[in-house]
Amino acid sequence: MKLGLYPKIAADGIRKNGRLYVPYILTSILMIAVFYIMHLLGFSEMLQNFEGASTARDILRLGTRIMAVFGTIFLFYTQSALIKGRLKEFGLYSVLGMNRKNLGRVIFCETLMTWGISMTGGLLAGIGLSKLAELGFAKIIGAGANYSFFISGDSLLCTFTVYSVIFLLIFLNAVRQVRFARTINLVHADKAGEKPPKANWVIGILGLVILLTGYTIAIKIDSPLSALFWFFIAVILIIIGTYLVLIAGSVLLCRILQKNKKYYYKTNHFVSVSSMAFRMKRNGAGLASICILLTMILVMISSTSALYFNREETLRNRYPNQLNVTTTKNGYVENYKEVVSKIESDVAKMAEENGTATDNVISYCNYSLSGYYGDNKVDIDLDPYSTLSTTLDYDRVVQVYFFSLEDYNRLCGENESLSKGEILLAIDGKLKVGDELAVGNESYKIAKKINFRNSNLRLAIASNVVSTFFVITEDLNSTVYPFKDHADFSGNSILTWNYNYDFDTGLDVDGQVALSKILTGYMQNEFLDQDFYRSLCFCREVERDDFVHTFGGLFFLGILLSIIFLLSCVLIIYYKQISEGFEDQSRFAIMQKVGMTKENIKKSINSQMLTVFIIPIVFACLHLATVLPIVHKLLLLFGHNNIPLLVICAGICVLACGIFYAVTYKLTSNAYYKIVS
Amino acid sequence: MSLLEVTGLKKIYKGRRGGASVEALKNVNFTVEKGEFVAIMGESGSGKTTLLNVLAALDKATSGTVILDGMNLSTIKESAMAKFRRDNLGYVFQDFNLLDTFTLEDNIYLPLVLAGKKHAEMKERLDKLAPSLGIADLLKKYPYEVSGGQKQRAAVARALITDPRIILADEPTGALDSKSSDELLDLFSKVNQMGQTILMVTHSTKAASHASRVMFIKDGIIFHQIYKGSSTDTQMYQKISDTLNLLAQGGDLK
Repeated sequence: MKLGLYPKIAADGIRKNGRLYVPYILTSILMIAVFYIMHLLGFSEMLQNFEGASTARDILRLGTRIMAVFGTIFLFYTQSALIKGRLKEFGLYSVLGMNRKNLGRVIFCETLMTWGISMTGGLLAGIGLSKLAELGFAKIIGAGANYSFFISGDSLLCTFTVYSVIFLLIFLNAVRQVRFARTINLVHADKAGEKPPKANWVIGILGLVILLTGYTIAIKIDSPLSALFWFFIAVILIIIGTYLVLIAGSVLLCRILQKNKKYYYKTNHFVSVSSMAFRMKRNGAGLASICILLTMILVMISSTSALYFNREETLRNRYPNQLNVTTTKNGYVENYKEVVSKIESDVAKMAEENGTATDNVISYCNYSLSGYYGDNKVDIDLDPYSTLSTTLDYDRVVQVYFFSLEDYNRLCGENESLSKGEILLAIDGKLKVGDELAVGNESYKIAKKINFRNSNLRLAIASNVVSTFFVITEDLNSTVYPFKDHADFSGNSILTWNYNYDFDTGLDVDGQVALSKILTGYMQNEFLDQDFYRSLCFCREVERDDFVHTFGGLFFLGILLSIIFLLSCVLIIYYKQISEGFEDQSRFAIMQKVGMTKENIKKSINSQMLTVFIIPIVFACLHLATVLPIVHKLLLLFGHNNIPLLVICAGICVLACGIFYAVTYKLTSNAYYKIVS
Repeated sequence: MSLLEVTGLKKIYKGRRGGASVEALKNVNFTVEKGEFVAIMGESGSGKTTLLNVLAALDKATSGTVILDGMNLSTIKESAMAKFRRDNLGYVFQDFNLLDTFTLEDNIYLPLVLAGKKHAEMKERLDKLAPSLGIADLLKKYPYEVSGGQKQRAAVARALITDPRIILADEPTGALDSKSSDELLDLFSKVNQMGQTILMVTHSTKAASHASRVMFIKDGIIFHQIYKGSSTDTQMYQKISDTLNLLAQGGDLK
């Protein structure tokens, strides 16, 4: 055979199957473009000039890898759907005398062509869109953008390599599919009598149980720390559950409906129910994939947007004042009062030297330790690792903060008094405490339980990640003295002493930054050598950039990935509609011959299609609703504690996704009707 | 009055964009009496299938009338056509046309379910019908699980279950092996003896020899017909093949 023949056949094949190939190539182009953009933003020097954009870039680097993995999986999936529709054609070639090697060449030419078009288009689109993406990214993370145009050779090369490898894998997979099929099977590939779906009770019920377990875990999680671990468990269970339920459970449901003769043998139900069983058998996995993708989009966008839009509040929770001077020491600090008064007077003096007074001062110190709570007692001798790995009960991990009554009265404007052995107690978390609280071998009588949330005390904890006790005592040092020699598993004292001095200034932003640098220098000079391992001054204005970059980077990544995921959803749906169309074509004709009216058929098919395509979004919303509590707990780790905003963000995402989904459905079902009628 | 009266039937397929149009049926006239078993024979392209499609109201004639039991097909509205077909016609196809998403039982019930019948009634009808068609044990199976002959018997059951005025069969043995063909033809004869009118299109001489009357169609007109009368299947077979021979040689029997 002449060599020129293969490219010709391949080109013909692509052109004749344009309905299948065009969306495939378009998706490849977009994936390549997005990969290039992410790589460009994440790895190239383009963003290096942006002050402190490193967090955001790290996030985008992670995104680049996600894109490579997802791209591989998804293009594989699409391509195998594609080749399935063409097996008959290959069978015909095979009958006409082509051997496997010849077929391999045809496939090679085809892959080469799709690769060539996708790569060229993708890289061009990537280069073209990169400026837009850069501007968007800069806008979100609040950095100034320049107007130069930037093309990164490294990014081009990396994109080229990664996607060439993916296409190579795709080619090998296609050859494998054709090679292991016998000629006669190739010819009849689409005529193989389809086995009726069996109702698999075990798997169907198992799926439901797994799904509900995942839901229960998701709803029940209390502490954000345990959330991290259980989150993965819940996610995996929900994913498995979704697949099982949609694959087996849906068929099971159809079968149960069929058993009910009164329901089944009705004009409206008869055809729909029985075809639905087949449809779900074929589409269960695809629908589950769509559902998982949609859930990912919803969770991703609602959480990152909530983080992003709440950044100022998160920042202000963490840094209530312009400047925050802090120092921390591990262990018992005999002379803490001297240290505190030294810092207070020195900082005030230095502020004055820089032309400002210290306003809204919040100054406090505390000791903290952590333990394992149960039965009115905080156990501080347990090895946390062995305990947690056997019980996995993060909800009982507790932090104990000791404050002096003096600080408390000053911070909260109270005038309480305590006698020896008495404490005031505030609780954050769901712990139940009686009249007495024991910490280690010490036992305290609780004079009064106080609410810490509305007082300045809340500032003492950065984020309520684990449950916390606030113990307020008359004399701080004598109270913690018994724990002085307790060591944790690594040999350090379990006590940590922390001091904070928050204040506002009358300075402008530059002045604040300058002062914070001076204060940091002072703190490090004075204290770093004395085991005060974290002595410095935070400046809110500096931290703001960090917050914006982190949350902005996450948000931007969320948007990019969502675009890709949404597009993948669209493509899955499109291929589903097309293949459904071809399958239904003959059924449509038969039903007409045995006396079904066109309207009947259209109505029945309409309702089936609608059911099939509404399932994923309904499930995705259900998933979102159940994982939202976990998402909230996880966001607490970032210091985000704004449930209404999270819910609003989720609501908007659902709405936007729903509209997009409906439009997709409408457009793709037109393709379907074109085929069947 | 005859059960089926066909007069001056004409069907022209228009060529696309001024292409040559084809006259599939020129001028077809015949009648079928109640209880008859009529076979229509002809070569490929003679217009057999077009005729059957027009009779089944799947296709519209260019001119001429088809009157079934006093109803003129051309006066039935498009919207009522599906119902008319369901209630009055039973159709048996060459390639069975069973829906692969249904069990045989449900395939047979399909026209009744569309007509809104109760399940008890459908079951009663099927219980009467199934043993005589030899499919009583197959009802729970899916089309892909049974042989071609069994599929066709299920299709016959689907055609019969509505008690149609006439059964239209399009090459019913076309996709069957000879044993299954014989069984199906015997079944047709049996059904016919119970009073069911059958109109069958075929180009199998053997299939036609079971009929009580055979009409030959060529170039869009009914060319000739022979009656079985009291002759046996074998004698009928001989008569038909003689006729076909003459036809093939271009002889004029008129």
